[in-house]
Amino acid sequence: MTQAKKTIASGLSEAEAIERAKVGDAAAFEGLYGLHKRRVYSLCLRMTGNTAEAEDLTQEAFLQLYRKIATFRGESAFSTWLHRLAVNVVLMHLRKKGLPEVSLDEALEPQHEDGPRKDIGARDNVLAGSIDRVNLERSIESLPPGYRIIFVLHDIEGYEHNEIAEMMGCSIGNSKSQLHKARMKLRDLLKLSRAEKAIRR
Amino acid sequence: MNCKQFQEALPHIIESGGDPDQEAHLLSCEACSELVRDLKYIAEQARLLLPMRDPNPRVWSNIQDSLAREGLVQEGRMSPRGHIAKNSPIQKKNWTPLGAALAAIAVLALAVLLVNYHPGAAANQAAITPVAAPSNNAAKAAASNPADDQALVNQLSQRDPELGKAYETSLKELNSYISDAEQAASDDPDDAAVQQHLLNAYEQKAMWYEMATNRALE
Repeated sequence: MTQAKKTIASGLSEAEAIERAKVGDAAAFEGLYGLHKRRVYSLCLRMTGNTAEAEDLTQEAFLQLYRKIATFRGESAFSTWLHRLAVNVVLMHLRKKGLPEVSLDEALEPQHEDGPRKDIGARDNVLAGSIDRVNLERSIESLPPGYRIIFVLHDIEGYEHNEIAEMMGCSIGNSKSQLHKARMKLRDLLKLSRAEKAIRR
Repeated sequence: MNCKQFQEALPHIIESGGDPDQEAHLLSCEACSELVRDLKYIAEQARLLLPMRDPNPRVWSNIQDSLAREGLVQEGRMSPRGHIAKNSPIQKKNWTPLGAALAAIAVLALAVLLVNYHPGAAANQAAITPVAAPSNNAAKAAASNPADDQALVNQLSQRDPELGKAYETSLKELNSYISDAEQAASDDPDDAAVQQHLLNAYEQKAMWYEMATNRALE
């Protein structure tokens, strides 16, 4: 849906609500919250894997939005701008917890259990056609934090490696390497989940 | 090229495609071919994932509180609708007597506080309607008697039709909000956040009643 076509509960278009929110219109801001809360919250939840943290970070993202919306110049889509703001809020929070640093070390020093050698010469049943979304969501939740962040940013949110590298403060190579390991780990988790299901049947 | 060399180069191959040697290995090796197919499939499926769910209504409540505390918006300026999204589970929940009792107590306490905080308005009110003590107003708000609410709206409309219309619209939104909150509290009576949400709803109604009464008595 394009920005111009989006409307909020009060009947304002998103563009109108943005302009009104810039001058402190609380009702317009509320409309923007209603329009974007689900995606921002889902982003926070997927990146942190924790409901309470996701709620706090959603709150912080929208508070920052209220404070900073006057600086939105329309150079990118509002949703892109807001989600970048939310990603930065989450990354700042995770940096304080020290998680990205741990994940980057992992990327530089691949662990054998996640490395490619595991599959060498192995014959596994392919996953194609067998993943349901609930399983995929659960498996993403189970990823180590560093893997999860890169996977969510790249494969779900659609950020490019150069953008991720800039946001995470790492090299593009690290971003690619970590994404690959995240997918490999997910593959293992999904196969494990499928095997467990088969045993239960 | 063997499997080890191929898989070590996989991140690059998946991102940018392989060179002729890698392509040839991919075609000839079933294990590596399955691996590539799986990784691409995982990435494709991830792109199809949608935002999952709305945040808990307390997130919006906290945002309102924070903005009010910082003086960025006046308290009560935002409507309570932001608490409840169309697809939120809160719309599927029901009322609980315990929640009602707690809410009524909270409303009484709040209304008494509000009226005491505006002694001029309270004195004015007492002079015009001798039987309408502050606690009576609060009790009316807590009871949420539709007839009383409508009478108050009518009184405001007689004074100023625009004012009456504004209060009536606000009343409808509040009642709808309370109804949703009651359902939520019923469905999840042990969830402190949902109960708090209900109390917030009643507080909003108490504030509406107090403001409407004061305007009617001006």
